[in-house]
Amino acid sequence: MLAFENVTRVFHNGTGVFNLEFQLQPGRIVALIGLNGAGKTTLMRLALGMLRPQHGTVRLLGHPVDAIRPEAWCRVGTLIEAPAGYPELTARENLLISCLLHGADTSLLRDSLRVWELESVAERRFRHLSQGTRQRVGLASALQHDPGLVVLDEPGSSLDPASVILLRDQLTRRARQGAAVLVSSHHLDEVSRIADRVLLMNAGRLIGELDTTGSDLERRFFEHIRADDERRREKRKHDDRGRTC
Amino acid sequence: MIAAVRVEALKLVRSLVGMIAALALVLGTVALLSGITFGVAGGNPELIAQVGPAAELNWDGLLTGAAQITAIACILGFGIVLAWMFGREFTDGTITGLFALPVGRSRIALAKLIVYTVWAFVVGTAMALGVLLLGVLFGYGAPSTHAWAGLGRLWALAMFSAGVAIPIAWIATWTRSLLGGVAGTVALVVITQIGALTGVGAWMPPAAPAIWAMSHGTRATALHLALTGSVAVVFGALTCWTWKRLQLDR
Repeated sequence: MLAFENVTRVFHNGTGVFNLEFQLQPGRIVALIGLNGAGKTTLMRLALGMLRPQHGTVRLLGHPVDAIRPEAWCRVGTLIEAPAGYPELTARENLLISCLLHGADTSLLRDSLRVWELESVAERRFRHLSQGTRQRVGLASALQHDPGLVVLDEPGSSLDPASVILLRDQLTRRARQGAAVLVSSHHLDEVSRIADRVLLMNAGRLIGELDTTGSDLERRFFEHIRADDERRREKRKHDDRGRTC
Repeated sequence: MIAAVRVEALKLVRSLVGMIAALALVLGTVALLSGITFGVAGGNPELIAQVGPAAELNWDGLLTGAAQITAIACILGFGIVLAWMFGREFTDGTITGLFALPVGRSRIALAKLIVYTVWAFVVGTAMALGVLLLGVLFGYGAPSTHAWAGLGRLWALAMFSAGVAIPIAWIATWTRSLLGGVAGTVALVVITQIGALTGVGAWMPPAAPAIWAMSHGTRATALHLALTGSVAVVFGALTCWTWKRLQLDR
């Protein structure tokens, strides 16, 4: 469904993502975990064609992202960073826009409003909604056209506990129906409940997987990060010594 | 494509920017012309000297004044609306929602330009009708063939000004900012003024329509106007291409 083949993208300041290699299969939920600035959002932007890689290829539904047929995007649902709502439009109009642009049936709107418990605020302008409600509008917009590939960046942020449970149910249900789901999050416990694989990112690299079966996830997460930082420090020292010699 | 046009139309119709700009252009022009006419009728010597040929209390004077106002106001108003239509996607962060869609970004940009053109057509027509109504209310009688031609030029000036403002769409995209587009609009107004004041005016695409309308079609030729039209087409195409190649790397 989604594949990264040795993908690198470096920004002017030297940060970015390096040699990313992973695959996302249908029916699976993969979570990306990392500290702020680890490269999670950059990876997702690469997956969605918001950025082009300098090296390597991102494949979506078997084709390089930049060569994919436009209709194929109908099968993709996204929420990257903040929900992209138009402040002057109501919640319903924002969902309508998403439906129209995804080429979906606008009759899906009613279900979408019901599922995400947005009926009471449907006619309220997006700018007047709380952060949590905006996030629910964003999630409804990403999922209402029943995409086969779901890419969500921090989907649980600003959500109240009831909405977090709703989100979890929606994602697991869609994965059971065959959708591939890629989510990033800071909430280790939350992703460990739904993800089939938890990938660790640090300093722009995928540094391994976190086994979610055991206890004390946070400790093990930080051990991985510290070990990676240490490895990179050692490598830098080694490289510096090599240059000096 | 139809979906993209529908979406862009919804955004513009529901925005205060589009409504305020339309009202400001139509009512502002009518109010300003009324003020000038009452001032001239009252014998205000400073005003009469300032407005020059627009100081005549007949259709000619009214249409010359309307052309002077339209030349600047339309570029300013149309430019601000374009800056908002394109720049707001970056400023409001809604640009992320325009990726990963079956509708390509070049088509979304084209849909914005189509909606903008229709909006400018409505505003330009309302402005011309407003001036017509004003002339009738001032008792200038039924417009002569000459006056109808002047009204037609006024409407055409508004439409050419809509074209002159199209580079603002590209500037707002390139700077990824609404304010960048607004700054570009101010620069365009300044360039137009410089063009109108210097002898090369008709060869400057932003200034040619104003010179054409204010000189009753004598000081700018079809070639000059075609050059203005081609600048609009080139920048429209450039904007669509820039949207197609867009990356969220800044």
